Amino acid sequence: MGSWSFYISTLVVYFGVDLLSGWSLNLQYGFAGVINFAYIVFQAAGAYIAATVVIGPSGGATSFQQYVFGARLPFPLPLVLAAAAGAAMSLLIGLFSLRRIRRDYQAAIMLIVSLIAIQVVSSDVGLFNGSNGVTGVPRPLYAALHVSTSSWQWVFAAWTLVICAGVYALIQWLSNSSWGHALRAMRDQEDAASAIGLNITALRLQVFVIGGAIAGLSGGLLVEYVGAWSPGAWGYAETFVVFTAIFVGGVGNNRGVAIGVLLVPIIFLEIPRFLPQIGYPGLIDSLQWIAIGAMWLLCLYIRPKGLLPERRPIARREPDPGVAGSLAGPARPGRRIAAVMRGQGR
Amino acid sequence: MWTLIVSSLGFGVVLASIIAVAAMGFTVQLGLTNVLNLSYGAVMTVGAFVAYLAVSFKLNAWLAMVLGGLAGSLLTLVLGSGVFKMFARRGAHLFEMVMVTLGLSLIIEYAVQAISRDNIYQFVVLQSSSIVVGPIIISVTQLVLIGVALAIFAALEVLLRLTKLGKALRAMAVDPSLARSCGIRTGQIVTITWLLTGFLCGIAGVIYVINSQSVDYYTGQLFLPLVIAAAILGGVGSPAGAFVAALIMGIVTQVVSALGGSAYSTVAGFGILVVVLLSRPSSVTGTSAGAAQLTL
Repeated sequence: MGSWSFYISTLVVYFGVDLLSGWSLNLQYGFAGVINFAYIVFQAAGAYIAATVVIGPSGGATSFQQYVFGARLPFPLPLVLAAAAGAAMSLLIGLFSLRRIRRDYQAAIMLIVSLIAIQVVSSDVGLFNGSNGVTGVPRPLYAALHVSTSSWQWVFAAWTLVICAGVYALIQWLSNSSWGHALRAMRDQEDAASAIGLNITALRLQVFVIGGAIAGLSGGLLVEYVGAWSPGAWGYAETFVVFTAIFVGGVGNNRGVAIGVLLVPIIFLEIPRFLPQIGYPGLIDSLQWIAIGAMWLLCLYIRPKGLLPERRPIARREPDPGVAGSLAGPARPGRRIAAVMRGQGR
Repeated sequence: MWTLIVSSLGFGVVLASIIAVAAMGFTVQLGLTNVLNLSYGAVMTVGAFVAYLAVSFKLNAWLAMVLGGLAGSLLTLVLGSGVFKMFARRGAHLFEMVMVTLGLSLIIEYAVQAISRDNIYQFVVLQSSSIVVGPIIISVTQLVLIGVALAIFAALEVLLRLTKLGKALRAMAVDPSLARSCGIRTGQIVTITWLLTGFLCGIAGVIYVINSQSVDYYTGQLFLPLVIAAAILGGVGSPAGAFVAALIMGIVTQVVSALGGSAYSTVAGFGILVVVLLSRPSSVTGTSAGAAQLTL
């Protein structure tokens, strides 16, 4: 039972982290239409910052690991800083890549940013200890809580889910606000949105930065759980897992994203763990990536909107009461918005 | 310090010629079909591995280069006329096509990883001595590679400017529907484009590993940022522009590397592209009305 407890609690944490990843990418792609192929860089930024502000000062080039920053900050601060790091990174990248640029060029530029980021961090050892990465990240509150390892894992899993719930509430609130409607307008009809006075570049940057902050937060959580972080964890292909998850589940629909995250990183990528070993060690990993690519293509071909397509809040005038009986049917998304617009609230 | 810079110029020109071959292929592909083919790097890797296999079967190095090019050609044709067309028929727009190419890149790259068992293979052919010209140290092989790049550039320019096919290619790059109305067989031209640019892609992969002397599954992807940057910097669809841009990229990368920032060499190259894009945005802005259409 002990090892199952370990496995399931780990899966719950990974699920939570991937949920945050999925929602943040969904914000950036599904709502703002930015094809963020550099997504994983923001998660990595959050993870590195959360790690380096907890493991104490760097020992310099001669010691076991060297990195910039270095502090020993108490519990929730590293996560806050991780989110800030994700936001800062996305601000930096957004400033030069979110111009009114052809979307395919934009996508290519994002991919290049991802490739270059890995190269830089792997080569510049003084930055974050190069390819070896940083390790030794202590478990938050482990000493303070006086619990066993497996119990701490469940505590952390619960904490992760609490954060997910909070972020979900935040995202839903943002999405249903006028800001969210402006985002959708910008995504669907950019010229018209610009014509009615929405500042396209500012909106894009805002949603990009918020998505980046959530991504950084997810990275911080992950590194606090796993205890280490290195370039091997954030290749350009990792962005793909998240993209596939949101495409399978439903772009633009946060609940759909949750389903997609459950299906792709959790169920689909965990199945090979239970398969017998085939071929040489590492073959299954390669096959997994091929399968992700194939799933991605299949998804784009068959059902690009995902399992749960986005619910479009379209304002409709309420039908005449006499006709209402035959039209009542199942509640339509438009009904709620129409009610709000008539001033009746939800 | 000056000797350092001048010697890095030598390395820069070598790297530039490698980037140039790849960038010329990429820019012609992008200019004509408007597909930003992110699987270009993976096809380069396949070309490199085919050449590796050819050499391990004791074939001549030049033959290996041609075989690598042919492999790239064939693979690009399968991707272009097969997969891309499939998605284009489904109504994919420009950026959806980019996502498709990235997915294909993933599949090809990890298929190569699976087949190559994730090993790095030594690829030593055309060994030769070094020539020393002042502070520039360059091997005969590298001079040969520069020669190959120049020959390819010349051949491409001759094709585009002096042949009927070249005229058709240039016409299609400007306005496909008008070209079709003039009687140009656009379907055939697109197929020829895939074959031609795929050949260049494969050869670029082979040249790259001849210079770096090792090949693994990630080879092409490592190289892709500079190729795309050079292609866009030089103006999409213009091989001459790609060549000049590749020179800039190669030299800047190596000079930055020599001055101590080897980790940031690619960043420097890419930074040039960013600066140019920011200052001359007209080359890459597109309205959401979709000024560019896929030609497949």
